[in-house]
Amino acid sequence: MTDFEEIYSKHSPQIYRVCMGYFNDADQAKDITQETFISVWKNLDTFRNQSHISTWIFRIATNNCLRALEKSKRVVTTELPLNLPAVHEETQEEKLAFLYQCINELEETERIIISLVLEDLPQAEIAEIVGLTPGNTRVKIHRIKEKLAIKFKTNGQFR
Amino acid sequence: MDNLDDLKALWLSANTDPLPQPAEMLRMVKKFRNQKIRRKVIIIVIALACSCIMLWGIFFDHATMVTTYIGDVLLIISCVILAVTNIRSVKRFYELKDCTNSEFVQFIERTRQNQIYFYKKTQVIAMSVSSVGLMLYWYEFVHHNATLTIIIYSATVVYLAVMWFVVRPRVFKKNARKLNEMLERLEKISKQF
Repeated sequence: MTDFEEIYSKHSPQIYRVCMGYFNDADQAKDITQETFISVWKNLDTFRNQSHISTWIFRIATNNCLRALEKSKRVVTTELPLNLPAVHEETQEEKLAFLYQCINELEETERIIISLVLEDLPQAEIAEIVGLTPGNTRVKIHRIKEKLAIKFKTNGQFR
Repeated sequence: MDNLDDLKALWLSANTDPLPQPAEMLRMVKKFRNQKIRRKVIIIVIALACSCIMLWGIFFDHATMVTTYIGDVLLIISCVILAVTNIRSVKRFYELKDCTNSEFVQFIERTRQNQIYFYKKTQVIAMSVSSVGLMLYWYEFVHHNATLTIIIYSATVVYLAVMWFVVRPRVFKKNARKLNEMLERLEKISKQF
């Protein structure tokens, strides 16, 4: 297995999940994941080890997500209806779909930040990827968690 | 279910099967060529080739009228403007290797503003210079024949009029609307940092 294949095996699921958090669309997430690894492959020689390779790859992926706004179709965010009745016990897929939908309602940078938090990246690394100060990142993460908590409580989907 | 650890567990349960296998991905990336900048590279090559042909004309074609030389120089200038604009654009694309999201959004914003500047200023200057250049360049070859002069100049004027008053405004209108929408969205994201 080449270096690239190892890197791809290790990081592509993470990148795909982050893209899913951003787009809430499996096809778009797959496309951006592939685009990210094309960039990784092209620039692997120039990667200067100034940061972790994961930081570098997440930067490329999240920049590709942001660049998607340049393409013709706008990233559509859907509003959740208020007070959804919890009529049955949700399956894992339904719970995940609800999580994606909640994340998709956030602002672009918030979607990126919470996806990286859920990938268990340290706050310092998230700050390096997004380009905020560590203090600012901490505050943002706190606010995003609050926003998500409100969404969950309002919709009563997770108990 | 609403604590972060539960959410992380749920997040990690996402099905990542749709992704290509590593070997398949490797085949895909090897097939990839720089499609995004291919058009720009073609424009640069054509513009530089035209400049070389024009330069060759100046030194070896032995034109007798000064209008031909002036036309030649003006056409070379317009080709160089086109090549330089595209070279700068390709250079910017390559310079952007590893940057934060915030720097990246600023970069796209700058690129789009440059694009608007190109449509409003650079393109107008390049088209004006090449139009005048073309008119002057033809003169030596057609001035001795009145019919040929009328035909060539009429055709040139019609071509330039179509480019100026039909093609350019249409392209500009379409691109400007798209670029302005994009800049609005970029500004919105910039404010989030």
